[in-house]
Amino acid sequence: MKQVLYIEMDNCIGCRSCLAACTQCGGHEQRNRNYVLDVNPLVNRQTIPLMCFHCVNPACARSCPAQAIQIHESGAVLSALVEKCIGCQNCTIACPYGIPKFDEEQNLMYKCDLCIDRTKDGIPPMCASVCPTNTLQWITEEELSRKKEQHQLDNGKWMASMPFMEGETNVKMNLPGILQGKVKLF
Amino acid sequence: MEQVNRIEIKANKNPKSAFANKFAKSMFLSIVALAILVYFGTRAFTHIDLNLYGYMVGTIVFLGGFFYRFISWGERPPTKIILKKGIRLLFLGTTPKTAVEHLATYRFIWNRGVFRWTQHLLIGWGCVLACMVTFPLVFSWMYFTMEENGFYTVVFFGMDLVKIPAEGWMAFLSYNALNISAVMVISGVSLALYRRIKNMQARAEQTFLYDFLPLYLLLFVSITGLLLTFSNMVLHGVGQPVISLIHQFSVIVTLIYLPFGKLAHIPFRPMSVFAKNYRQHYGAEEMKKCKVCGTGFVSVEQSNDVIDVLSQNQMQFQMKEGFNLAELCLPCRRKYRISRFTGISTHELKVKEANQNAKG
Repeated sequence: MKQVLYIEMDNCIGCRSCLAACTQCGGHEQRNRNYVLDVNPLVNRQTIPLMCFHCVNPACARSCPAQAIQIHESGAVLSALVEKCIGCQNCTIACPYGIPKFDEEQNLMYKCDLCIDRTKDGIPPMCASVCPTNTLQWITEEELSRKKEQHQLDNGKWMASMPFMEGETNVKMNLPGILQGKVKLF
Repeated sequence: MEQVNRIEIKANKNPKSAFANKFAKSMFLSIVALAILVYFGTRAFTHIDLNLYGYMVGTIVFLGGFFYRFISWGERPPTKIILKKGIRLLFLGTTPKTAVEHLATYRFIWNRGVFRWTQHLLIGWGCVLACMVTFPLVFSWMYFTMEENGFYTVVFFGMDLVKIPAEGWMAFLSYNALNISAVMVISGVSLALYRRIKNMQARAEQTFLYDFLPLYLLLFVSITGLLLTFSNMVLHGVGQPVISLIHQFSVIVTLIYLPFGKLAHIPFRPMSVFAKNYRQHYGAEEMKKCKVCGTGFVSVEQSNDVIDVLSQNQMQFQMKEGFNLAELCLPCRRKYRISRFTGISTHELKVKEANQNAKG
């Protein structure tokens, strides 16, 4: 049963639990690899979490001269292999979302790997396992399609895909505002 | 994985070339070069150590695998760019320092952890030492002769290099170089295995073929090598022929595996020096100003190269606002994505991302 990371953007309250949880994942060595961004900081407090969307055709891996960014069979785009990464930072320039981070001292890129040591065994990634408002969810594909049925949009696009993204991604998300007027159970 | 890594070795486009492709050319040239070096090293084939011919065949098989892997890898657009520009910038003033830090002292691994640095230093330099002894012996570039009693003459490329007393420390180090390297590699591999077994993080990320096999192979090589010494010193050479064959087998299997597994980073690693030069040189030339906030975040050259590489992969991140995504600095690129989700121009607000680094 394949599970996906699903983001309900407008649930985010900006608590940054996902950032703290990310630091605790195996291999992340106490550093978070995701972001929580303010949408309109001078006007309101709405935030949206941002992390690697795990593109089906990842620009980072395409631009890597050392083939250091591997794609797991589950579709997760992994962090750079420590022995292969040559520190050119092409991936940080190529990523259309600005996700990969780079450590100058260690000469190493690191990015969200969808907590592959957990998700490969069906355990939710750290960020989704701690999110208090169900912004980040680890759900099966059936649950995903059920969620899809709840939203009738005339353009058929309930999820952030084209033109909101640059290509198809393994992480699914819905657009902010789409759930307005729905009764949500946290 | 297959989708990203699939590359074909292109046939040579120049019809006048004598070679069908790069692979044939590299293979031919390196074997000819080896043959010439062996000719000089062995004083016209008079000093070949036929005990070691298995390693010779193994080396040639290794070259086949190595060129296959290296050439197909070099055909990838981003690799091609780094290789081409890296070679052009090879004689930058900082190259020696960068090369020593990246390839000899492994400073960046030290920054990843002292334990990992120690294990890498032991394995890395153990292997380098072993190769520096083994291959000159295999191709008879270096051998020892004894004319007057008590002194060895070290012959290097057919020239008498130095006479050393057979009981002296130089001779001792020469006899035992492979034992020393074996001990280094065994201790390094033990540390690496210990980390992989004890450290839950490391354990989750490892796979047998990629992470454990190379360690077991190195262990196999070192232990069978040490067994040869043990058999000589303690057992009066009992089992020597069998052990030496097993040792030879272990080395050949490792050489065949080398270009394809984790150990492939050894021949590919010098590229990190290219990458550093590339960033330094073009960064000093002209920095790319972020199209939104105006801060220089990468060299113009690299930004253009990445755009070029992506378009070769049918990826064009040209936005209707008039910029390419590779022309935005990373924070602006993230904020721009938020603006695409919400329709609010987050990226144009001069407010920094707040509280992004959680304390682990």
